Amino acid sequence: MSRQIMNAPTSPEDALAGALTAEYAAIWAYGPIGVRLTGAERKAAVEAEAAHRSRRDGLVVQLSTGGGTVPPDRAGYALPFPVTDRASALRLAVEVEERTAAFWRAVLPASTGAERDRALAALVEYAVRATRWRRSAGITPLTVPFPGRPG
Amino acid sequence: MVLTCPVVMGRTTRPDGSSQLSRRAVLRAGTLLALGGAAAPLTGCGLFDRDDEPPEPDPHAPLVDESLRLAAGLRAAATADPDLAGRLVPLAEAHEAHATELARVIGTATPSGTAAPSASPSEAPPADRAATLTALRQAERAGRDTATQACAAASAERAALLGSIAAARATHLEALR
Repeated sequence: MSRQIMNAPTSPEDALAGALTAEYAAIWAYGPIGVRLTGAERKAAVEAEAAHRSRRDGLVVQLSTGGGTVPPDRAGYALPFPVTDRASALRLAVEVEERTAAFWRAVLPASTGAERDRALAALVEYAVRATRWRRSAGITPLTVPFPGRPG
Repeated sequence: MVLTCPVVMGRTTRPDGSSQLSRRAVLRAGTLLALGGAAAPLTGCGLFDRDDEPPEPDPHAPLVDESLRLAAGLRAAATADPDLAGRLVPLAEAHEAHATELARVIGTATPSGTAAPSASPSEAPPADRAATLTALRQAERAGRDTATQACAAASAERAALLGSIAAARATHLEALR
């Protein structure tokens, strides 16, 4: 990196490890989400889970070949609220996409070049998927002004 | 200290995306910068103010203007077709929030009041709602691509903001389907 960055809050490895833990949790969450959905929504959940698995796999390879620490997956993750029906499943899907988007957003300042491109692609994809889930759930507005921004 | 100086920040290269901007847009962005330069204290940058040349425009100043144009287009469409207002106004507000936040990090004056609907390309009510939405989607798609390029080339300090703006424009594209 040719430019010294002052007050860089996170190292690239820490940011990527954070994204990996978010992907683990997202994959886990799509289990209870998927069983509450049917038809096109079920299919969308399967596709979303596949996208998170693909990014998880990429991160595991990247972190392990880079000599970094690969955070382990857990047996289970605490859901922010119980998933008991279609409505709560869709709300959780929105939240999962927003949260993983936030972790990829945090990779942006800690990366350059192709790595930043990948992080941005993830942020954009998850933000768009959150919008689709909001539409399914009937949540308005469909968008947030700053996808992935904390607070 | 030096890294916080807007003059130094302005030296970063910007990706090529300026060809879509009208001369007026560029001029307006320049005006915003000049106003900001006059209003903001530049005490930390005194070393660089050694001639009378105006400061080099910030590479992201055109994004402020683009945000305001996207907002104006949405507000004009909402005015012309009030049934769409519930969908379009939140998107316009997001673009205005982007303009405000970008202006803050660039160090220009907050561009409140410059998002007048008069900047919209068409004053006449749209004959066809589908055509209106198609045009708005095209504008969001172009805006998404501009912000994506800007994020790729940005400093670490601005990468997250520009990434959120690119993502927001992509979600607008989805919301306008």
